[in-house]
Amino acid sequence: MAEKLIGTDIAPPDLVAKITGRAKFAEDFRADGMVFAKLLLSPMPHARVRNIDASRALRMEGVIDVLTAQDVPEVEPPREPVLSNEPLYEGAPILAVAAVDETTAAAAIEAIEVDLEPLPFVLDPLDSLRPGGPDAWTQGNVSGREGFQSLKWTEEDFARMEGGHLPLGEPLTEWSKGDVEAGFAEADVIVEESIVHQSLTHHPLEPRSTMAYWQNGKLFCHTSTQSTAVTRVALAGALGLDPDDVVLIAEFCGGGFGSKISGTTHMQVPALFSRKIGRPVMLRVTRYEESYIGRARPGFQGWVKMGLRENGRVTAIDLYIVQDSGPHGAGDYNTAGSITDLTYQPENMRFRGVPVLTNTPPKSAQRGPGGAQIISMLEPIFDKAARQLEMDRLEIRLLNAPGHDATFGPQDASLTSVHAREALERGAELFGWAEKTSLSGQRNGPKATGIGIGLSPFTAGNRGFDGLLIIRPDGKLYIHQGIGNLGTHSMADTARAAAEYLGYAWENVEVVWGDTSRNLPWSCVQAGSMTTHSHTRANRAAAEDAKRKIQEIAARELGGSPSEYEVDDGRVFRRGRPAQGMGLGQVAERAIALGGRYDGHELPDDINRVTVVAAGNVAGQGLMGVARDNYGGEGSIYSWVAGFALVELDVETGVVDIKEYCGVTDCGTVLHPRSLGGQIFGGSIQGMGMAMSQRWVFDPQWGVPFAKRLYTARPPGMLDVPLDLKWDAVGIPDPQTPVGAKGIGEPPVGAGAAAITSAVADALGGQCLCRTPLTPDIILAEIEGRRTFGPLEQHVG
Amino acid sequence: MATIRDMIAPFELFQPTSIGDAVALLGEHGADAWVLAGGLDSFDWFKDRIKRPGVVVDLGAVEELRGIRASGGGLEIGAMTTLTDVELHPDVRARFSILADAARHVATPQIRNQGTLGGNVAQDTRCWYYRSGWPCYRAGGNICYASAPKAMNREHCIMGASRCVAVNPSDTAPALIALDAQMVIQGPEGERVVEAKDFFIGPGIDITRMTVLEPGDLLTAIRIPDTWSEATFYYEKVRDRNSWDFSLVTVAAALRVEGATIGDARIAVNGVAPHPVRLQHVEAYARGKTRDDDNGRQAGELAIQKARALRHNDYKLSLMKNLVRRAIRGMEA
Amino acid sequence: MELFRRAANPWNQEVLIGVSWDLMWAAVIAGIAFMVAHALLVMGKTKRLAEPAAEAAGIPEKIERHSMGARAFHWLMAVAMFALLVTAFVPVIGLQFPWVTIHWVAGVALIATIVYHVFHSILKEDFWSMWTRSVDVKRGMMLLKNVFTRSDAEDPKTGKYGVDHQLYHHAVMVLTVAAIVTGVLMMFRIDTPFWERNPYLLSDGAWGIVYVVHGLSGVALITMVMTHVYFAIRPEKLWLTRSMIFGFIDRSHYLEHFDPEHWKVGSGAGEALEAPSGGALAETAAQSPHESV
Repeated sequence: MAEKLIGTDIAPPDLVAKITGRAKFAEDFRADGMVFAKLLLSPMPHARVRNIDASRALRMEGVIDVLTAQDVPEVEPPREPVLSNEPLYEGAPILAVAAVDETTAAAAIEAIEVDLEPLPFVLDPLDSLRPGGPDAWTQGNVSGREGFQSLKWTEEDFARMEGGHLPLGEPLTEWSKGDVEAGFAEADVIVEESIVHQSLTHHPLEPRSTMAYWQNGKLFCHTSTQSTAVTRVALAGALGLDPDDVVLIAEFCGGGFGSKISGTTHMQVPALFSRKIGRPVMLRVTRYEESYIGRARPGFQGWVKMGLRENGRVTAIDLYIVQDSGPHGAGDYNTAGSITDLTYQPENMRFRGVPVLTNTPPKSAQRGPGGAQIISMLEPIFDKAARQLEMDRLEIRLLNAPGHDATFGPQDASLTSVHAREALERGAELFGWAEKTSLSGQRNGPKATGIGIGLSPFTAGNRGFDGLLIIRPDGKLYIHQGIGNLGTHSMADTARAAAEYLGYAWENVEVVWGDTSRNLPWSCVQAGSMTTHSHTRANRAAAEDAKRKIQEIAARELGGSPSEYEVDDGRVFRRGRPAQGMGLGQVAERAIALGGRYDGHELPDDINRVTVVAAGNVAGQGLMGVARDNYGGEGSIYSWVAGFALVELDVETGVVDIKEYCGVTDCGTVLHPRSLGGQIFGGSIQGMGMAMSQRWVFDPQWGVPFAKRLYTARPPGMLDVPLDLKWDAVGIPDPQTPVGAKGIGEPPVGAGAAAITSAVADALGGQCLCRTPLTPDIILAEIEGRRTFGPLEQHVG
Repeated sequence: MATIRDMIAPFELFQPTSIGDAVALLGEHGADAWVLAGGLDSFDWFKDRIKRPGVVVDLGAVEELRGIRASGGGLEIGAMTTLTDVELHPDVRARFSILADAARHVATPQIRNQGTLGGNVAQDTRCWYYRSGWPCYRAGGNICYASAPKAMNREHCIMGASRCVAVNPSDTAPALIALDAQMVIQGPEGERVVEAKDFFIGPGIDITRMTVLEPGDLLTAIRIPDTWSEATFYYEKVRDRNSWDFSLVTVAAALRVEGATIGDARIAVNGVAPHPVRLQHVEAYARGKTRDDDNGRQAGELAIQKARALRHNDYKLSLMKNLVRRAIRGMEA
Repeated sequence: MELFRRAANPWNQEVLIGVSWDLMWAAVIAGIAFMVAHALLVMGKTKRLAEPAAEAAGIPEKIERHSMGARAFHWLMAVAMFALLVTAFVPVIGLQFPWVTIHWVAGVALIATIVYHVFHSILKEDFWSMWTRSVDVKRGMMLLKNVFTRSDAEDPKTGKYGVDHQLYHHAVMVLTVAAIVTGVLMMFRIDTPFWERNPYLLSDGAWGIVYVVHGLSGVALITMVMTHVYFAIRPEKLWLTRSMIFGFIDRSHYLEHFDPEHWKVGSGAGEALEAPSGGALAETAAQSPHESV
């Protein structure tokens, strides 16, 4: 019996290369005649280019050419163009210069005169909603199905601001279920708060660098991306190419956090530039540029009203989110509405939202988009209600957390499996909640202890993608993965679903990934924490297809019926008669001889065209397993993390020291424990940074961001991580997926953030600051009664 | 002229091996020369192309600028001694632990391995308006962006401002002032020795410099007299995160305590003014007082008497007050 | 030589931020050049003294030229002006000290003295003595001719203030007002007890003009003050300088330099009231409630 692969710690195949520095990331590639591109960024938050004079730059020795907005594909506003003559944020690329080296390219940028006409700009969504407030686009400040609109609220709406509350003007989106007013009427306790969640740059360690060149009409592109198969299609689509004419090479990715899902907008720069000048072009994006074009999580200004019955059950939630959507939009606010409904299961719910376009760097999904923000904001408010009801905070969560039969969101979606309560219970046990409740609010000198809980769900799967694998005459199993290598190990770990099913020892498995010329099947985007779920399924489907073919070949060669054959340890053999069998290498040879569907010359007709081409290219090389995930399923796929934290808050300095954290997940079957622990810790720590330190700051006069260096943006460092870190998993398989595994990348962020916001509020005696980041100034100002910013003010750092 | 960042512009590099050669080079090139110590401050400027010296004099190869030696009962620390070496030196730890503590609070281990004590005290301010290359007073212009009514100034000063409201970012400076350290400077006219508290200058005196060092000057060593050897020390740096972060407010104090009574005291604060501030009036108050919370509170109130907040840094008043209170009282409430 | 200092604002737009400090040296050189030229032109000129007895009749021995108030104003203003110039320009040449507070406090003092001066000169002094009329201009031309031709001819007599004094006064007035108006605006960029700092009170372009005007008037005042001091310490003018200290001039100086018709010295008051004689002026004066006290 071959080793068990699922649920064990196996180092991924790219590990040594990464640790030794031999891994080649996009910027490490070179090509003959390659030149370097540099971007010219807009100095103004909103402007119109009146004239570009590049003549002096073009006369400089070593300068090749300039790429401007005229040279890039047009897109429908508010979508983001590659280069623009109407930059919509400070740092928006206006043009690129190519030169023989970067020093020359930089000097060339400085020699270019761009005549810009400043246009009105807005940073804070509420400023844009004020009567007569500025719009981020000349066309308006919100963009919906009916196009742009200039949405303004009334002075009466803004009167609520005086009391520190979010104005509740006309929303762009609204849904409700039940009767929220009736729900409040039934409530014994009502809590109501306005909230502010900052925007946050993604800051992946690897910036979005790209090198591209053209050969024989094909585009070869080395880039930093979360996905692979999808990124190729996205790049082809953006450039109007047939995906077959794009070779995308992305073996490694130094992090994306949602900012490089299907590649990046600016990966088009080298591709377009290379086509224009006929030479390979490298765009090495610097940290400074990355902070502008590298995407950010949208900030929220919101208001929530929550009603609870005496027994702790939530009767109603009324939630309003104003989202800072950046210039090109983002969907977090909608997700926030659904996640709220999912997490607290209110009997009645209303959600309203306005995503406001602003002249700030572009937003996109960031690890747990919408969910992480809203959970970190709502958990301390939920605590406040529990405190008023004199209920234990764990108990009130157990009471309201959804079960398997739960539904949520505007469409009352069902779920495949929910073990939130088990996660809470296991977490409480691991953390020692019962013993630690006595520490809540305890003072030791100037240090006040606080404990907190964050329960955070996020999407964790998808269905219907393709698996492709080949057993070659060498007997090895080659599993082709069209998913990316984001650093989550799912590129290798999801292959286990196929390997284990086929009884393979891991050393006989080769994972093929990261280069579309290596024939990769159609895959999901490496986002929404969906890869583990989607591709354990797709690979299992391909493995099942392979196994059937192996059994058929064995029966054909050795007699009997296919169902009498088992596959294990690189052999196929008759059940109960292990000697009657053959090696899978031999089977592969037979498959090649047989041809047809055995070696990929005939393919299923329900697989994606991308998979058809990939499989066609490797047909005849061995026994092919190829299939679409047709397992089906009912309901949304969500994973959960229950986070528990203990903090010490110094009331004389406002400094919070996170002493303990533990996160317990419900993500179905555990595929790779060590990697799962890494995801829970990594995501939770990212959430702690979100709650405690990471920031965006703009000068309101000039519309220019300041936190564009890592030291000013302040993502958490090693010393901000508690020494006492624990994790665990409920480990109950999802019944609707063959391996039982769901994704995990995103839910820990909300759990980590919320456990901290909840614990800080606890240390402050139940006082919710209802904003992030909880830096010492904000906490100390609260303690000492010195407010240094407006109640709903964004970007104050 | 369009702007580009993160790309160092070319310069002429000199790597002298002696103090004499370094001073001669600085004299020769005057204001066009830039002194490069650990490079943590310098390379930020160079990468942003905001400061573009024609000549860079790298002190990395000047061995005589490194090392910690006994001197007149105290210690003399070469300006190019790394912060890690200061932090780990047994004599510093045994006798002047406040300085080891201060060095340990700088940025990250990697930065402390590269950064030097001289560089730490001579570094430029981190005001992000100034660091963005905007033409503010400190950059030779005629405006302070950080003091505008809606400016983002939570990290700026609450005292000592003169047009410019930036703060000195050095973590070791207040510790050195508390130790009555002396700065040894080699200039075109030979050597001069300046008290640590006088080494740092405010914008009222010269808005474009943070210290008395002028073009041609070289900080060669820092002397720690034995005055405060093995005294009772207090050092606390409050920052937004626990590594790689500049101080919001830092208080450093050296106290001679007999029983529970404070004999003499030195108290210095950084992060509150364009230069580290020695609180002589608080020291005078503390003399002869017992170390208790009441006296701590009084001292704290006294410390912020003349402080005035900008739009977003009112909390610094509380923070400075509370840290001074702790310096007098001790960490325990 | 650059005339102006420019910088790129945060939006990378070029803005004026002030005058080039080279202009300070230009002003000093201009002042020195004037003094040298003047000294050379008047060198060796003999001084004639004439005191016709008839005209001396009824003229007191000592004649009050500057009242206590006027002298106090002059010297306070001078102190403020020196403080302003020193605090403005000494740091530029490299001698560093905390100059900003002294500078604006001196500026406020200057404003106070000027306000006093305006009211005092209108209400209490012979306001019209500073008024330049055609006869003053004619006499001024004669004086210039004497200087440039090195003529031995007697310099024309004047009213209380010759046209040279009057023009100097007007020039200083214009420059000072310009410096004050711009200076008060510039006080919005620094901490003062009067108002909140607001560097965005004006647009970048308008600020540029404010700084340039302040700078230009400042450097021009260097030249003006230099020449003023030069005349004050010239031996043949010392009697005038003394009058600014003690208030009086001798009868001999009065008779030698002044037209008694033009600067009437009444008995007792020791001070002549200016009576405008020209038609238009008389009319203006008649409309003025302050023509006499």
